[in-house]
Amino acid sequence: MTAAFAVRLTDAGKRYTKYDDNPLLVSSLRHVRAGSRRSTLWAVRNVDLEIPPGECFGVIGRNGSGKSTLLQMLAGVTAPTEGRVQVRGRVAPLISVGVGFHSELTGRENVYLNGTILGLSRAELDRLFDDIVDFAGVERFIDTPVKFYSSGMVVRLGFAVAIQAQPDVLVVDEVLAVGDFAFQLKCFERMTAIRDAGTTIVVVTHNLNAVRRLCERTLLLHDGVVQHLGDTTEALSRYHALLDTPEEPEDETAPLGASVGSDAVTIESTDLRLQGRSTRALDAGDVAEVEVRARFHDTTAEPIFGFALRNEARVPVYYDDTTLLAVDKVEGGRVLTCRMRVPANLVTGSYTITAMVRSGFDGPELTHSTPLSFYVAGRPIVHGIVDLHASFEVTEEPGLP
Amino acid sequence: MEGEATTLRRLGAELWASRSLIAMLARKDFFVRYRRASFGLLWAVGLPVFQAAVLAVVFSQVVRIETGPPYVVFLFAAYVPWSYFSLTLGAAATAIVDNSGLASKIYFPRAALPLTTVLTNLYGSAVTLAVLLGLTVAYGVGIGPAVVLLVPAVALLVMLTGSMSLLASATHVYFRDVRYVTQAAMTVWFYVTPVLYPLDRVPGGIAPLVKLNPMTGVVELFRAATVGADPGWLPTVAVSVAWSLACLAGALVLHRRYDRVFADLL
Repeated sequence: MTAAFAVRLTDAGKRYTKYDDNPLLVSSLRHVRAGSRRSTLWAVRNVDLEIPPGECFGVIGRNGSGKSTLLQMLAGVTAPTEGRVQVRGRVAPLISVGVGFHSELTGRENVYLNGTILGLSRAELDRLFDDIVDFAGVERFIDTPVKFYSSGMVVRLGFAVAIQAQPDVLVVDEVLAVGDFAFQLKCFERMTAIRDAGTTIVVVTHNLNAVRRLCERTLLLHDGVVQHLGDTTEALSRYHALLDTPEEPEDETAPLGASVGSDAVTIESTDLRLQGRSTRALDAGDVAEVEVRARFHDTTAEPIFGFALRNEARVPVYYDDTTLLAVDKVEGGRVLTCRMRVPANLVTGSYTITAMVRSGFDGPELTHSTPLSFYVAGRPIVHGIVDLHASFEVTEEPGLP
Repeated sequence: MEGEATTLRRLGAELWASRSLIAMLARKDFFVRYRRASFGLLWAVGLPVFQAAVLAVVFSQVVRIETGPPYVVFLFAAYVPWSYFSLTLGAAATAIVDNSGLASKIYFPRAALPLTTVLTNLYGSAVTLAVLLGLTVAYGVGIGPAVVLLVPAVALLVMLTGSMSLLASATHVYFRDVRYVTQAAMTVWFYVTPVLYPLDRVPGGIAPLVKLNPMTGVVELFRAATVGADPGWLPTVAVSVAWSLACLAGALVLHRRYDRVFADLL
């Protein structure tokens, strides 16, 4: 019998009670009598979600968006305050690898301990043991106490146990960020393999590339509320739009990409578009359009629009402006709109674009916009800072070898 | 999973499914505890024997308590269950909180953690029990047919310790004072339990306290199995059984209600 779903959440929500700093029995008894003075907080609420077996599902969101709470509910660590959480089969949470590893025990003993915690029987562990050790690549140290392991070895061994356990539902947290590149590739391969074998995988992470590579559907959480559930590219796009809203919104009326600090000019809006539609996710090679609207309060000579593109590491990737367009001047009170069309010849990652206005070729910067975040799904294989769209030719010279 | 409470049936099923986990954790705890010590497992026997020996010297030479059987054996017969009880309850009370690293990451019934402590300490007590039997022979008391009473004695000890541990560990998650309350209680508890003195030599003032003490019946059952029980011991066993059942009921209520939300406070 095939199950219709592996994971199902029905209007699930979790409320936490924030206790006061004073945990004294006396004061808590007083609170009970005086009616509760504890404050409550909904970490997540109204989540409706169904994941079929064999799907790899992503969950993204900023810090404090409720990702971890959702994950804890999936792992069964905490019960929902309202609604239902149903998970079919054995769950292996990879919330932090090597849970329950004891430093005084050897690698072998820890494999058995960890496996038992994950719900494997002794016989199953005997059968899987060699594969686990092989995957982790720690054969030589398997009878050494784990305290002598490097942190990478501990992570590899922990990951190996969880992934070889062949759970029905694998819940993966930030663990993908650890380990060296070779091991990460091995994890990706292995996760794809067990997904194809029918394991449902839920990836909860800030690693957007992992989500894009593994997940067809993604849930975007913000302040405990579902912002998007479905297509991963759309989720990444909306996530980047959320990145631009300040953590503590001071002035919610200010539109995105508005300018900071200027009297002469105000940037009223900045937008990123693809084929006329506003978006925050591009594929490499897409021709995107960045539109800036600026209101000039004073008459300004030689107004110039500039655009600065930076990558995740804040490294300037590209700067260009309208100097060569030569506009003489703009009267006070007028609005200018500038559209820059640019091919996204970039590698996978998150980027920001900042628009600025100057007066004159070497004049002072009058204002700049708040950065606009977006995501680029790069071409596979391509690495580096930009995608130069090289073409290749391989020929064999004629003649004898 | 729906709502915060678990059904008793489900809790029971989850606990049963966790039995190999409990055994595994207990074995790990027991062996890790002594792994780095030069004398290793000897400490598991050495420490309680040493403590009992000191008490035996003090109370037979200095205070002079007269008992029928040799005082050393008389004392040790009661000290074996007492040391198991006090050590286990002290450690099990904090078991859920101490294992928060595990409990906040993965689900298994939280009752498994105090039960692990109950099992861990049983390994050590099995050895001290053998020492007790050796002493009874060495001091000429001998081993009679009453020794079969050790079976219900150990059962009652584990049941009482287990249910109190479950109760204390659940309460400790919400009131972190429980650890200190337990420690404080143990100091008094030791003296109102007939470990150092026979049951019939209790001064009138504290007699009701001793007779209603849940550990009295356990201790007396151990004596009945080895050196012979003190007069008037049978009712105390009934009291102990009643306490065990009451604590078990309380523990089940707490774990049923809070099993799935303990992690919120870890």
